[in-house]
Amino acid sequence: MSALSKAAKQGLGDPALAELVVIRASQLNHCAFCLDMHLALAREHGVSEKQLDLLAAWEEAEDVFDERERAALALTEAVTVLTEGFVPDEVYEQAAKHFDEVRLAHLIGLVVAINNWNRVMVARRIPPGGYTP
Amino acid sequence: MTTTHSDDSTGTTTVEYAAEQPARLEWAKHAPEVYKAMIRLDTAARQGLDHKLYELVKIRASQINHCAFCIDMHTKDALASGESVERIVQLSAWDESRHFYTAKELAALELTEAVTVLTDGFVPDEVYENAARHFGEAELAQLIAAITVINAWNRFGVTCRMTPGHYQPGQYK
Repeated sequence: MSALSKAAKQGLGDPALAELVVIRASQLNHCAFCLDMHLALAREHGVSEKQLDLLAAWEEAEDVFDERERAALALTEAVTVLTEGFVPDEVYEQAAKHFDEVRLAHLIGLVVAINNWNRVMVARRIPPGGYTP
Repeated sequence: MTTTHSDDSTGTTTVEYAAEQPARLEWAKHAPEVYKAMIRLDTAARQGLDHKLYELVKIRASQINHCAFCIDMHTKDALASGESVERIVQLSAWDESRHFYTAKELAALELTEAVTVLTDGFVPDEVYENAARHFGEAELAQLIAAITVINAWNRFGVTCRMTPGHYQPGQYK
């Protein structure tokens, strides 16, 4: 699982965006351990407090997230919540406009990888707060 | 591409199905290291799990996540390894057809649903504890891993719109 996350993150090549994506998926999946860990990592990578504060409502915060970030976050939500439908064409196409095929494949891989961690941590109820960067 | 299917029972009617959609992205080609990590994870997750149970878990998660490619693959693999058509057909309504499955399989299916649908809540204590009653700790860890891995394949399958219908049993083994 670590190898999967590492390969995806490297291929995306944008550590700050990677943390936004990972935190948003962890919010949707209610993974406390993952949120605790990745909020710390995001601050380490210089993601602003404003972005972290407004991430849960990014759609309503147009001035805080640029178009590329918004395309990545929309894709993150679609890939994370498969039970309520498919990944809409407009969401996929918007992401494909901002990310070339290689980066897009890694971005999808990253969303998949954090969904894996969210599942393992929630299922095993791993307590938050133990992570130090 | 248009597929025309003839109705063998009368020999007169032909039905035209909707066109097959192309895949969106060949993700494994563009992210080979990610794909290799997925294969290693998949191989590790299935260790020590009963094969029939493992396929039921894979089919059920793929149903919930609407992954057509994964449903195609895992129903064919399950049938090829001797699973009954009836148990596969009943799987989407297993809660109402419990007598088709063992208590252990039912515990695994319940856990599969809880771990797959995290967005509607957590994994309830009673679901986890029922699974823990039927599976030892090591086997339970494998089961959680297996559920996680099929969720991962489902996400790639749906997002990249991998095309169902062409899978041959055992193709990726």
